[in-house]
Parts: sequence; structure tokens; C-alpha cells
Amino acid sequence: MVDHAIKLTDQVWSRYDRKEQRIRYVTYLVMLIGLVWAVSDIDIFWPWVWDAPNQIQSLGARMWPPRFDTWDAIFNAMLETVHIATLSTFLTIFIALPVAYISAQNTTPNKATLWLGRVILVSSRSVNTIIWALLFVAIFGPGVLAGILAVMFRSIGFIGKLMGEAIEEIDRKPVEAMEATGASKMKIVLYAIVPQVMPAFFAIIILRWDINIRESTVLGLVGAGGIGVLLQGSIDLFAWQTVLTILLAIVMLVILGEAITSALRKKVI
Amino acid sequence: MLEITNLEKRYGKNEAVLKGLNLSVEGSSVVSIVGASGAGKSTMLRCINRLVEPTSGSIKLNGNELVNLKGSELRHSRRRIGMIFQGFNLIDRLTVMENVLSGRLGYVSFFQALTRRFPQADIDRAFHLMERVGIAHYVNKRADQLSGGERQRVAVVRALMQEPEILLADEPTASLDPKTSQQIMSLLQSLASEMSLPVLINIHNVTQARMYTDRIVGMRHGQMIFDGAPKDFNQDALDAVYGGIASPDEDGVDSSDATGESQEVNA
Amino acid sequence: MTPLKTASAAMVVGRFWRKPPFIANPWVRYGLMAVTLIYLYWAFSTLPFNWERISEGLPRSARIFGGAFPPSFERGGLLWTGFKESFQIAFLSTLLGVVLSVPIAVMAAKNIAPKPVYLLGRTIIIVARSFHPVIVAILFVAAVGFGPLAGILTLTLYSIGFVAKLLAEEIEEIDWGQVEAMRSVGAGYLKTLIYGVFPQVMPRQIGLSMYQLDSNLRASAVVGIVGAGGIGGTLMNAFGRYDYDFAFAILLMIIGIILVSEGISGWVRKKIW
Repeated sequence: MVDHAIKLTDQVWSRYDRKEQRIRYVTYLVMLIGLVWAVSDIDIFWPWVWDAPNQIQSLGARMWPPRFDTWDAIFNAMLETVHIATLSTFLTIFIALPVAYISAQNTTPNKATLWLGRVILVSSRSVNTIIWALLFVAIFGPGVLAGILAVMFRSIGFIGKLMGEAIEEIDRKPVEAMEATGASKMKIVLYAIVPQVMPAFFAIIILRWDINIRESTVLGLVGAGGIGVLLQGSIDLFAWQTVLTILLAIVMLVILGEAITSALRKKVI
Repeated sequence: MLEITNLEKRYGKNEAVLKGLNLSVEGSSVVSIVGASGAGKSTMLRCINRLVEPTSGSIKLNGNELVNLKGSELRHSRRRIGMIFQGFNLIDRLTVMENVLSGRLGYVSFFQALTRRFPQADIDRAFHLMERVGIAHYVNKRADQLSGGERQRVAVVRALMQEPEILLADEPTASLDPKTSQQIMSLLQSLASEMSLPVLINIHNVTQARMYTDRIVGMRHGQMIFDGAPKDFNQDALDAVYGGIASPDEDGVDSSDATGESQEVNA
Repeated sequence: MTPLKTASAAMVVGRFWRKPPFIANPWVRYGLMAVTLIYLYWAFSTLPFNWERISEGLPRSARIFGGAFPPSFERGGLLWTGFKESFQIAFLSTLLGVVLSVPIAVMAAKNIAPKPVYLLGRTIIIVARSFHPVIVAILFVAAVGFGPLAGILTLTLYSIGFVAKLLAEEIEEIDWGQVEAMRSVGAGYLKTLIYGVFPQVMPRQIGLSMYQLDSNLRASAVVGIVGAGGIGGTLMNAFGRYDYDFAFAILLMIIGIILVSEGISGWVRKKIW
């Protein structure tokens, strides 16, 4: 009996074993050090932090109620924004599809094209739409062309990457069957690959259009057209009530965009 | 006529999957190729239409050497060879008619393929063949809505649309239930004689091989070890090909004999 | 070539077949095509294009790319402070955002929150998501001034919008049996949460947080453009002063850091899954 009791007291349970505990402690420690360093080193004037809720609230008060006297200009700018998003998504398709083709491992002609496709996609994805817009405004001047190009250059990476993955995930068997009939590469793509990636294609395009609507609203802040131009103008003039109107218009556009995209998705998928 | 001489296939530096194969198929016979998994049946079949590249050897179809063809010559030779697959390999999202017409992709232009405007002769032939195998009522149905047996029949029509000089079937019935697989085997047998077409069938089911084909070729470890009439394919031949393990689907034979002792085959 | 002989009835010729169109109803089909063409024409014609300025574009871009190459890393010090600040902004806002996301996600999960709380949670998430981070950054800059504070506030909101939404959806898909089991042993709401809900969503939550850190790192480069701190501000200045070689250097570093952080976060997520 006594032995049994000793055995009981030796039984210990802990949630994590030695190694896991060490990893957790190290991770917490690293995060704590990171936190302390970031907070102490960052260039923030701490009294302003405590004052922030106050400031935010006062800004909010200055914005209310919204003013509608420039509504015509706002509406036209919104239309321009939608055009930018739609046209660029449309035009991107023609560039993104070939790029997707060469960046998919099972369809790319050779290693060089695979590498080229991957480089194009990575640079497109890593540079934010606004930064592209900065570049194009510097080249082509302020205006919608810079905006359209900026959205296009960013969308190529998004659509190209997802389409490339869709191409890589197809079932190989129809491809084998088409090869056996003696069809050329292009016809094999047409019959064995295209039908398989169609659903993914529509889903991706619809999703990107939705994202592009959002992106296009801010292009104007760097001069690339759309509602952003009016927004920046109103902010510069401290016309906060007009700012609120514009913000409300943007929210409505986003909600409208979401409604359209979910309706489209139901129809097509 | 198909003539395979000294065919060898080796992956890298491993042991050869096909070793010095010789096979000759004349006229319109139906030849079945039996063997255990890994014996090389599928590899050999795919070497004929170059879905797998032979390492060495010669394959001649009606006098034309196939082994060293490239580019458009290769595609031209492939359109003369019809193939049906174990997994049907249909294009699921397209209709039955489009799948059937895709057999003509080696013959039509890209534009015709894109717009689906195939020559009237092809459309007539398609309807005719679909009626022959009994799927004409599915013309505009999506291929993935058909049953297994029906899908294989679509695949057969697709292969026949190529106007092939030879038909290759890679385990066409392995994914089908027993009744449907008999229907397909019987279909292949009658089509072979109707169209004077040589047919090569990879098959697991030795009973069906005996029933529906004129000649049995047994493979083991990449080599041919039996070549003769079904009536000569006795228990010894069976053991030699399957190495003492029971062949699957062998009806009427006690399959629990693991010591390799011969047993009387129940006729 | 073996001609197609058949023993059965003679072949019928001249039968018609066309591929069934993608959209069955011809009105809808042609209507859609017409609408698309009309829209394209309308959009292109109403958009204001300053062709004169645009035609200056090609020679201008030659000058810009000429000036951008080779990239100049001379002002390495500026690069370093800029990136350091961006990283600090990203790190702090991810931390704050993730911490806040947990209660908000719990509020916004249909299966564990009462209706009014659920609606409030969902509204918070929708508001956080509606605006592009750049717009939010501008507003925060107007409220609390230039600098990383505005950036942190912006990206925290951005993180909440993303992480809380996905976490809420994750919570809505948990295996309810585990929650039932905890309820049946008599555990209260919080304890049920900790034992029945969180273990199921924790791996995904960690994955989301890593993804968000990566995302915030990218976004921090952008909010700086409107004055909310970080490398974005450095980039803006470079563009403004026509220092294209420095700007190019900054861009290359941004791309490089994004690639590295993507790699790291992918590796960490694989380890945790």
C-alpha cells in the first residue's frame, strides 16, 4: 500500500512537455522583447496617444452633418472610379492569362518562361496599387490613365497567380487523352485545360473586380483619377462635412459592389 | 499491322520495365495482354503512341517507324492510333458530342476546334457511331452526368472517330462493374470485326480475356512469356504469368493456393 | 487507312449539330454582348484623357528609368530608419489588432453570441473593412497628426477587419459537439469558450496572425505615403525630389523584404499547422 501511494505522488501531468515549454517561453520572450523595443523606440509622442480618442471624436464632430452641395461632382467622380476599376479588370484579363499560362509548371514551354512568368507575378504583387499609381503619375501625368495602368499592373499579379495555380491543379487525364488523339498543344489547351479552369476563372475575375473598386477609390489621392481626387481636395480645404459625404458615397459603392459580386457568383458558379 | 521489335524501356538507371519485347499483330485480331500489376502492360501500350518514350527498339505501324517521329509527324501518327483508358479520360465539363468530336482534333484546324464547327462528315460519323454504341440520346449532355459504362462508350466512339489503324485499350474495364465490363468487352470484340481493326487490350480479368479475344499475350517483369490462343492458356501459363499468386477475377478456380502447386482448372 | 465499314444500317448524312451556347437564352446572350460593347464605348469616351500630357509619357519614362538605374543606396541611414519604423508599425498593430480581434470575433460569431451582440460585432467588422487603409490613414493623420501613431491606429483597424472576420467565420464552423460536452459538465460561458472553442480555432488564428503581420508589413509601406509613418514617407519624398535612383532602391528593398517575410510566414505557418 505504501509503495502504491509513493507511485501516485510521482505522477505528474503537465500540458506541454519540456521541449514544447521551452519553445513557448522563447516565443513569448521574443515577442515581449519585440514589444518593448518597438514601443520604446518608436517615434511617437506619447501624450498624443492618450489624447487620441479626444482628437478622433472632435474630428468626427466636425464632419457632421454631411453636405451635399457638391453632389454632382461627387457622383461623376464615383462613376469615373467605377470605370477605372472595370476597364482595368477587363484589360488585365488579356495580359494575365498568357502570364498565368507561362507561370504554371505543367504548361510553361521551358524553364526560362517559367522564371519570367514568376518574376512578373511577384513584382506585380509586391508593389502596391498606390505605388504603381505614383510611378504612372510621374510618367504620364495626373489623370485616369495613370490610375487604369496602376490597377492593371497590380491585378496582373493577383489574377495571374491564382489562374496559374488553377492551371497547375487540373486533372491530367483529359490532357493525356487529347495527346493520344494527335492534337497540337494549342488544341490540347483548348479542350483539356480551358474547360477545367473556367469556374476558377470567373470566380477570380469577380473577386478582383470587387477589390479593384476599393483600390480605385484611393487612386485619386496621388492624382490618378477617381473619387480620391475630390477626397484629397476636400481634406486639403478642411471641408470635413464634404469629406463625410464622400466617405458615405464610398461606403455605398462598396456595398453595391459586394451585392453585385455575390449575385454574379451565384449565377456563374 | 503492328510490329514491335526488341522494345526496351528503362527509367534512369533502374532495372528495365520492358525488356526486349517482340510482338506482331496482324489484320483485325483482338489481342489481350495479361499480367500482374507492374508487369509493363501499360508501359508497352503507351510506348506505341509515345505517351511514354521507349528507350530503344522499334515499333512499326503498317510499315512506318514510330519511335523516332517528332512534332507534327508524331501527331499525325498518333491520330492513326486510337486509345481508350481505364479512367475514361473524358473532358467532364464538355458535352458528349464535344468529347466525341475531340477525337478529330488531329485532323481539323485550330479555328474549327475553337468554334466547334467540325466538317459535316465528322458530325454524321459521330451520330452514326453514337447510335451504334447506344449513346446517341446523350448528345448534348455533360460527360460527367453519365454512368461509368456509358462514359467508356463515349471514349470508344472518340477513339473510333480518329479513323484509327489500330485500337489500344488500357484496362478499359477495370473501373466498371462485372456486367458493364462484359458489355464493353463484347462491344470491342464486335467493333473489331465490323471495322477490320486490330485491337490490343490490357486486361486483368483472364476469364474475359479468354471469352472475348482471339489471342492472349502474357507479360511478366517486362518480358513476354506467353503468346497463343486462349484455349492454350492453361493453369501452367497462368502461374507463369502471375507467379503463383492468384490472378484477380479468376472465376471457378480456388485462389487460395499460395504454394504454387498446380490445380486442375475447372473448365 | 481502314475505312469505316459497318454491318448495320447505312449512315444518315447531313444531320445538324452546333455546340450548345454558354448562355441558353439568345436574348440574354446577345443582350449581354451588346451591353458590354456599349459600356466599353461609353466608359472610354467619357473618361478624361489628357493626350498631350500622355504623349510626353514615353520620353519621360525613358528619363525616369534612366535616372532610376542603377539604384542608389547612398542614403542607407534613411532607408534603415524608414524600414525600422514600418516594421514597428506593422508589429504593434498586428499585436493590438489580433488581441482585439478575439473578443470582436466572439461577438460576431452567430453560434456563440446573442443576436444583438452578433449584429454589433458584425457592424464593427464591416465598418473596419469598408475603407481602404489609405483613406483611414488620412483620417487618422488629420485627427492625431503625422507620424507612426496614425499608422498604428490605421493598421490595427485594418487587422481587425481581416482577422476578426475570418476568425468569426472559423468559430461559426466549429464542431458543436465539443461545446456541448463542456456545457454538459457545467462549465460557464468563458470556460466553455476556453476549452470548447479556442482549441479548435487556435491553429487557424495563429496562421491568420502571421498572415496579417505579413500583410501589415506591406500596408505600412503604403500608409506612409499619406504621412502615417514608415518607409512610405521616405518613398514619397524621394519621388517628390525626383530622386528616382533612391526611389528605385526603396522599391527593390520593399519587394525584397516582402518576399522574405512571405517566406518566413509561410514556413512558420507550415510548422504550426
